[in-house]
Amino acid sequence: MASIKDENHWKRLVDECFRREAGPQTAVPDPAQDLIETGVLDSMGWVSFLRALESASGLSELGVLLTERTPSLESVFQVFKEAQTERLSPEPCFSYAAQSEARTSVYISSSCAVVGSRKIPSEEVDRAFGMPPGRLRLRAGIESLAYATENENELTLGARAAQQALHTAVCGAQELDWIIATSETHRGYPSLAAQLHSQLLARENCGALDVGGACLGLVNGLAVAQGLIASGQSRTIAVITSDVHSRTFKPGMVAGEFGGLFGDGASAFLLSAKNGTTPEQAYSLGEFFFGCAGQYAGAIRVADAPNGNLDVHFDGEALSRAAITRLEKVVREIELRSGIARSSVQGLATHQPNPRLVTLLAKQCGLPEDKFPLVARSFGNLGSSTCGVALDAILQSARRHQANQWGPIFTASLGPGLLFGGGWLVPA
Amino acid sequence: MTKLLITEITRMGPAFCVIGLQREEGKIRSVRPVTASANSWMHFPYQRGDVLQCDLAPFSGAKPHVEDRVSTHGFQKQSTVPESEVVAYLRKAEFAGTLPELFGCVLHENKSGSGLFAMPREATRSVCGTQTINLRLELCANEVRATLALSSGEVLRDLPVVDRDWRDFIEAALAEERGANRVARLERFLNSQFHYKVLSCPHHFIRLGLTRPYHDLCWLMLDTLIPLPKHEWLEEF
Repeated sequence: MASIKDENHWKRLVDECFRREAGPQTAVPDPAQDLIETGVLDSMGWVSFLRALESASGLSELGVLLTERTPSLESVFQVFKEAQTERLSPEPCFSYAAQSEARTSVYISSSCAVVGSRKIPSEEVDRAFGMPPGRLRLRAGIESLAYATENENELTLGARAAQQALHTAVCGAQELDWIIATSETHRGYPSLAAQLHSQLLARENCGALDVGGACLGLVNGLAVAQGLIASGQSRTIAVITSDVHSRTFKPGMVAGEFGGLFGDGASAFLLSAKNGTTPEQAYSLGEFFFGCAGQYAGAIRVADAPNGNLDVHFDGEALSRAAITRLEKVVREIELRSGIARSSVQGLATHQPNPRLVTLLAKQCGLPEDKFPLVARSFGNLGSSTCGVALDAILQSARRHQANQWGPIFTASLGPGLLFGGGWLVPA
Repeated sequence: MTKLLITEITRMGPAFCVIGLQREEGKIRSVRPVTASANSWMHFPYQRGDVLQCDLAPFSGAKPHVEDRVSTHGFQKQSTVPESEVVAYLRKAEFAGTLPELFGCVLHENKSGSGLFAMPREATRSVCGTQTINLRLELCANEVRATLALSSGEVLRDLPVVDRDWRDFIEAALAEERGANRVARLERFLNSQFHYKVLSCPHHFIRLGLTRPYHDLCWLMLDTLIPLPKHEWLEEF
């Protein structure tokens, strides 16, 4: 979040949120004008405008603080000023400016993505699930899927990605302060993070932490790592995703319309505190934000069935609608918070439930489809690793250009619940 | 003559919207008495739980407000039913446990801000009861909003609270004569005692409604929250 001291920043947020509510052509009213009494906004619109502002500014009590005040832009600015005075008081609290500074001091020193070694045409998967050949290609846009071989699993794929990332950064595993792992398919103990810790031969006092969130896992993991580094307690962290769906969503266990969408893959990102030795060609983490849109909680549920199978409730239509609406909303939120226009980005590392939805999302966002790396089309939905493989692809493609030509990167994802989260990266 | 058990009295600008339960062919269903010239009543001196005699013309409103009936004469109060009994009848009327079942259609989220809406042509009714596993009221810039979790686990956020009694209660809580820190005191009440009083009530129940189409969208709102607030609660904060 930007400093509350930055009045221009607040004015931009207010203007943008107001226009989103009232329409892009609507002139921003006089600050003193009573927006409800003069009919500029109705009460629904006023609250909706404030909710958007709360979310964009991080001032979650804006609505409460405006109670018993005139519904005007002047009141909004007044509350911002009062909040600033309160927050900048000498009480022992984190100032937003300091937090923002800390956030930008974390960068990605290297990354790597791997997928299951077996490449399976989608028609073969159709047949295995008892669906007419061509169904996955026609309805979901999936051309092939990456499946793990017999010797591959979450640990081997995750470890391979992590070792490659360490190798690229010329960083020994003993330099890691934390290993943060996320997977939507790994079950059992020791947990994936603990197993990766042993496999990579990290220091004994390197922490191992498993983060949930299913397809949102990578964004969760990056935010946790950023916080650990910003707190000053860690310098180098590996964030690793790994998902092997082909052993969980098998024919006979789940319906093909659901199980057939998923492939296997992993990704790893090495995060470090920014210092004098930070390479010129690197991306810094911006801000992350999260939430849970519970109205979509019923769209997807996966639970263990008593017979050992998986009890999957999957309302594809509702989920597609929710995914598009929410991902676009997250992209808008990133724009609003960062002040970065979506048109200027290097790429978007988003969740990709299936390629058709990526096409729709690109259309909805008014962006060319090539801003979204083709992950789901060739490999299937990789769960928490979809975002990771996409982010790695964007980072690799940026490295083929001069650093001064790099653009920012947006990342946005969803998880059952419906969890959502997003953030941005900027050239360091 | 129709016998109508009044279950909803909601604020609609300066006027009131009224819904009652009617028994017809062994079924209990909601009907909304409207005047010949408007959807709302400028004056409605009755309470929820009142049983009123009235004449309702068989007129069906435009979708999704299919419950509309024109009231051709005034109302005559016959009796009053206690709150717990009102809920027993409400449970036998329109009821749903999941989001799509509430109004028989998909509910959409507002892309630019808060709130949920239905498309008028898709919704099959405009009022429905449901069971909540949690519920919270909050103030947002002079407006009262509800966030609630259905028994299905689905969460609805930022629903405008239009229940007349709850709105009256909140206005009374914020009245100037109540002294200093009124907003903070009300906030504290809503975050603590309210939760206990409402959710521990054995006949806790809510009804959700859809607004009349506004810019071609019908927005979700909290029509009724039972238990209704008691005036003596104001003494507690």
